[in-house]
Amino acid sequence: MIHDQVEELISLYALDALEDGEASDVRLHLEDCEACRGELDEHRATIAALIPDAPAGDLLWDRISREINDENRVDESTVRPVELADRRIPLRATRWLVGGAVAAGVALGVVVLPQLIESPAPSLVASAEQAASEDGSIVADFTVDGTAVARIVLTSEGRGYVLPTDALEPLNQDRTYQLWVINDDADVISAGVLGADPAASAFTWTGDVSGFALTREVAGGVVSSAGDVVAVISEV
Amino acid sequence: MISTQAGDGTSDEDALITSIVQGDQTALRALYDKYGGAMQAVATKVLRDVNLAEDVVQDVFVNFWRDPGSFDSKRGSVRTFLVMLTHRRAVDMVRSEVARKRREERRPDRDYYDVAKEVETRDLGTAVRSALDSLAPPERDAIALAYFGGLSYVQVAHHLGAPEGTVKSRIRTGMKKLSTSLTGYQP
Repeated sequence: MIHDQVEELISLYALDALEDGEASDVRLHLEDCEACRGELDEHRATIAALIPDAPAGDLLWDRISREINDENRVDESTVRPVELADRRIPLRATRWLVGGAVAAGVALGVVVLPQLIESPAPSLVASAEQAASEDGSIVADFTVDGTAVARIVLTSEGRGYVLPTDALEPLNQDRTYQLWVINDDADVISAGVLGADPAASAFTWTGDVSGFALTREVAGGVVSSAGDVVAVISEV
Repeated sequence: MISTQAGDGTSDEDALITSIVQGDQTALRALYDKYGGAMQAVATKVLRDVNLAEDVVQDVFVNFWRDPGSFDSKRGSVRTFLVMLTHRRAVDMVRSEVARKRREERRPDRDYYDVAKEVETRDLGTAVRSALDSLAPPERDAIALAYFGGLSYVQVAHHLGAPEGTVKSRIRTGMKKLSTSLTGYQP
């Protein structure tokens, strides 16, 4: 495509309004034509000026931050990302966990898990409070001897938050708290690893849910666990 | 013609970009606070689906975090760059089969998309409104359908029942008028 032809199409290219083949031709020409690049930049600036500024929401930022932090953690640990379906544990262990009975030595059979994200706490706490006020949200507390150790908030859209209280005792650094979702089929699926001294965290869960469990595990999450249960929330 | 250089915020934005290159997430958050709303507005206009629009904005920011060097300050402001990436990504989604179907489900009648209303009801500054008013209605409709409708000029021509060459000409003329009217304008 010659220069004059491209010049005719630059404004349409800036609007993303060319057909694919034409856009490719223009893109090729732009690599070698400074004049056309300059004209394109002017058109893009004009178009951007048409868009008014608007407030940006915290919830979307939480999602962006979560994805970035997930990537960082995966890169650092070289842990393979795990599909949710891979994280189900055997039904036998599930029923034990839902029932709340302690059965030392029962294997949970879980693969390595993604970490929950600890974004700046004030933002997450505010997001959790907002989420708790939405119609259809689940709000429930993990309790130990009648004292709340962590609050769970899960919206109908699947945005989840864990808000530990001061009553949740810090663990040694070689241990971590781990959060589980129990679905309607009584499968127990990890929602993530909270760390040894958890701060407010976010998670995502879009399936059905009948309860939650909080356990103590080895740092980084478990592949197989004896199931050191801290608390269970059932029939939410 | 409108300036392609960033305005007074250039040095601040240079510092933010430098911080992002160094892995400072608070700098990315600052950019999000400044421009995330505009990006979401563009994506929502094109996709007519808040969830898909959020996916697009998330995708743009995560990719920018991965590769902040893709931004060249000599070619314009960060805002222009992010809006451009957002629009392109949204258009890609519109033209993909899945998004197209979801979009069509929300638009049982093809005439539902009222271009004039789309432009006039937006919260625009005086300069932008004046610039848009300087366009002949066929020019404004062609540009709005292409940009906010995510349509190619061929699709715009089909939609308006006008020859393709005519639509191309309307868009070119309209864009020239806009550039002239918005010289030096910063939103």
